[in-house]
Amino acid sequence: MITGDLKATYAADERVLNNSYKQTFVLAMAALCALMPFIANDYIILVASQMGIMLIAVVGVNVVIGYTGLLSLGHAAFMAIGAYSIPILHRLMESIGLPDGIMPFLAIPGAIAISAIIGIIVGLPSLRVKGLYLAVATLSANFIIIFLIELEAFAPWTGGLVGLNTPDPNILGWQLDTQREMFALIAALAFITILAIQNLFRTRVGRAFIAIRERDYSAEILGISLFRYKLMSFAISAACCGLAGALFAYFYARILPEQFELALSLQLVAALIVGGMGRTMGPVFGVMVIVMVPEVLKFTFGMVAGGAAEVVQLRAPVQEIIFGLLIIFFLMFEPLGINQLVDRGIRALNRWPFARG
Amino acid sequence: MKQTRRTFIATGAAATAALGMPTILRAQPSEYVIGASLPLTGPFATAGQLVAPAFTLAEKLINDEGGIGGTPIRFVTEDSGYIPQNALANYQRALATEGDALVAYFGDSTGFMKLVAPELTGDQARLMGSTSFASELANPATNPYQYLAGPSYQDQFDILLQNIKDAGGSNVAFIFSNTEFGRDPIEHGKMRAEELGIEVVLEESTKPQGADIPTHVTKLAQSGAEYAILQGYVTGVWPQLIGGARQFGLPTQFMGTFWGMEKLIADRVTAEAGPFLDGYQGVMPYRYFYDREDAPRYQLFAEAAKEMFAGTPLENYMSTWTLQTMCALEIAIKALRDTVEGGNEPTPDNLAAALSEITDWDTGGFFGGPVTMADNKIGTGRVYQYSTESGLFTPTSDWFTV
Repeated sequence: MITGDLKATYAADERVLNNSYKQTFVLAMAALCALMPFIANDYIILVASQMGIMLIAVVGVNVVIGYTGLLSLGHAAFMAIGAYSIPILHRLMESIGLPDGIMPFLAIPGAIAISAIIGIIVGLPSLRVKGLYLAVATLSANFIIIFLIELEAFAPWTGGLVGLNTPDPNILGWQLDTQREMFALIAALAFITILAIQNLFRTRVGRAFIAIRERDYSAEILGISLFRYKLMSFAISAACCGLAGALFAYFYARILPEQFELALSLQLVAALIVGGMGRTMGPVFGVMVIVMVPEVLKFTFGMVAGGAAEVVQLRAPVQEIIFGLLIIFFLMFEPLGINQLVDRGIRALNRWPFARG
Repeated sequence: MKQTRRTFIATGAAATAALGMPTILRAQPSEYVIGASLPLTGPFATAGQLVAPAFTLAEKLINDEGGIGGTPIRFVTEDSGYIPQNALANYQRALATEGDALVAYFGDSTGFMKLVAPELTGDQARLMGSTSFASELANPATNPYQYLAGPSYQDQFDILLQNIKDAGGSNVAFIFSNTEFGRDPIEHGKMRAEELGIEVVLEESTKPQGADIPTHVTKLAQSGAEYAILQGYVTGVWPQLIGGARQFGLPTQFMGTFWGMEKLIADRVTAEAGPFLDGYQGVMPYRYFYDREDAPRYQLFAEAAKEMFAGTPLENYMSTWTLQTMCALEIAIKALRDTVEGGNEPTPDNLAAALSEITDWDTGGFFGGPVTMADNKIGTGRVYQYSTESGLFTPTSDWFTV
């Protein structure tokens, strides 16, 4: 809770960006994202795009883990579904002769819808099991989906073990064939996703999710259908991951099944925990740490120590250790995530010079 | 200031230098950079750590020889953790920080090579070698800038099958890991076997790690295969399979491809589990490092390694993986030198053209004789046999070029 932040009207209290810090941060970020395609080099665009894709996925994971309290370790599978849907849907649309310029308008919602449906199926065990048991059930779903993608029988569609080349999106004749152009699309969709999910938790549905997280049987007694809302939570969450997967497919020229294995699921959950579960900005801070920090470490170490092989041999493991320690540090220092640290900072600023923290 | 003859000449020289400098700099950069991603952490960290010193050695040797037409080279390496996206980020970082000075790149996995291939256009393109022998990459039409530092896995199967045919074999089993790496040459191998009149009696796919050895060995026994070709393994599964088959009393002759041909692994298996790998055969594109009598380049490496890596395992032996990296770097350097010495700018297109024109090139002993780059690969190799007594792989065939 941010204190020392006076609201004089209900309208002011209901605003999404309900204090000046949020407004400044979001506007600055939006301005930065708008400027980036014009000023940043290809490397920064690549990392920023990777962050954008991850962010959308982590926002999705936040819905199910952070807000509904259902532990899932299988969300990489939904990204895989979203990613593989894109080339498959493009092929289908080509076969019926649809023009290129409208394909993304059908393929992206299509990928989201397919992921949401698979999300509902994968979410079914959540009706019977909770906690670690559900984690294992969703983990298995991850393995099953990757197994199916790799299966020889589906290889004509999925490319099997070899992977699949993906098309570039063409938006009404504008071919997004550079990473720079893709970044614009990713950034725009990332903003929309965060805003949509933030607003979801100001509605009846979102509050039902939170009620389930706090105590599921109490929620049921209050009249919330666990069946309906748990599955809806999985569907919304999988839909976000499906969108992230679709952008992943458009962004990279090729998708390989090994990119969507357990490691990615763990990375998504790690980003959420580090950033702050059940908070709008949690995924944003989490993705900064999980995706950007290793790159910053590589860049900084590279600048200081150089790229000679004998140096990199030593500094590569050191970078990993520092990254690991950093995550441990965040979890120990603030188990509620970086979002909580930021809140504390803002509180201190608001009260300064009268009180701290 | 009073204008004298001396100051006039000095001013003139300074002006010429200032005006001429940009052109000179452009034509003759202060150094060429070759970037590399290596798996220095993660599942293949052992291999990555073993290969990394090769870059230091190569940098020293190449610069001692005068670099590229007098311009020194510098290697920039970075860890990828064996994750294709990380390697892609490394590549982009190298492009951003080194710019036009970056003339070539070395990738650490088939996955990375495939991921980056469609990105290699315009100013994003660079000449690119890797640790991969994936057949798909050897295609100048789709991947003009990427090359293999030896034969593709399909070529390696061709060499082995030809060897089996020459030895009078009539049937073979293919045992492969259920990965892209394992499956790469299987379809092609079946076709080739049919052409040669060799029957493929078993196609057995296994897990890449922790495979169910007794089941696979039983199937192999039932198939009655004379030969079994193993594909898609690095450190695990293949020694266990051979061990299991020997315990079972199977007389099958096992054969491997490049990644199953490392002496360090064969030696370790022998030391830990006994001499069952005796007689194991396989195809290797290169000479082994200890076979350097006719390999002046290897002798040079050995001398340098003695000095640079004294007291480490690299002092006396260079693994097959390191040789592959060295060969990939030598190919890039060859293309660079041919381009620059031919008076051309080392642009990716010029380098790709120089690459495809490499003909009858004396590699100084990597391969048996002069080699030619065809379809961005060098389809040469020979069959070796391992002896547990000597701990050496010795050649049992001539050099094949397919």
